[in-house]
Amino acid sequence: MESSATTALADLVRRAQKGDENAQRDIIVAYQHRVAGFVYAMTNRSDYVEDLSQQIFIKMVRAIDRLQAPAQFESWLFRLARNTCIDQLRRQKLRRIFLPFGEEHENIAEPPGAVGTEELDALRHALEQLRPQDRALLALVQEGRSHAEIAETLDTTVAAVKARLHRAREHLREHYQPDHEN
Amino acid sequence: MNTFANTTNLTMKTEDQAWRDLQSHAAAQLRTGFADRTLRAALGPKDVTWGLLRAQASRQLPLGFAERVLRLARAAAEVPSLTSQFALSAATAVVCLAAVVLVQDRRAQLSDERNLADWERIVLVAQDAQDFDSI
Repeated sequence: MESSATTALADLVRRAQKGDENAQRDIIVAYQHRVAGFVYAMTNRSDYVEDLSQQIFIKMVRAIDRLQAPAQFESWLFRLARNTCIDQLRRQKLRRIFLPFGEEHENIAEPPGAVGTEELDALRHALEQLRPQDRALLALVQEGRSHAEIAETLDTTVAAVKARLHRAREHLREHYQPDHEN
Repeated sequence: MNTFANTTNLTMKTEDQAWRDLQSHAAAQLRTGFADRTLRAALGPKDVTWGLLRAQASRQLPLGFAERVLRLARAAAEVPSLTSQFALSAATAVVCLAAVVLVQDRRAQLSDERNLADWERIVLVAQDAQDFDSI
């Protein structure tokens, strides 16, 4: 079952690589929710979700013909998403350094309770306490990426990924309290 | 014997009571939902919570998101790349420089020819004057 799904995805990617617009559209529709979730987990800003997801998919459409192995598409897409989010967070940090009195609204996360349930707020609060790299790691695991794929994405070893993941989970659990008591 | 047993029971009851008091005092320090909080801290967020996060994010995407992305990607492809814009600027600069050099060279050549003609005329006049003087 899984292998037929993988084959179907690889076919879709091959068609998209040849410029088939329907295939490109199908890929965007199939992955837009997952990519949006990844962006939200990384940035903790709902107002960034649409813009960054759009940037990620535009990059995907423009670069998909350079993807060597269509079977590695998911891994490649989430690497693209991770890099785009990290770039955005870096730019935001630089902007705060150079424009300390401008754009005060930058990086203000929604207050607790503004976006959903207590559990969701707790998760967002906990994610906010982590480094972007650790958020990316946890979000990639949630996306079903294997340790080997994550190691390839982050250009490191599987052992390092496991160690970092362990620490990131510890930190997440530490800060995961619904009413921000910790 | 009975007295000893009674005394022991009394002491144990007091000790039990003291333990119970200690426990209830300690338990009173725990706020409501202690068990839930402990479980959360031990297990971390459940998959369903991650699902809520994803659902919340998905709601930020407007209808027709895919269409818009494709339209923007096409528009971006039509805009010349930075490299090609730079190459065009460089080529224009080279053409302009070549034109300036050519025009300058031509003007210098014309000026040289004119000066040479003037000098020849002066030499002829001088020679004529010398010939006239010698006669």
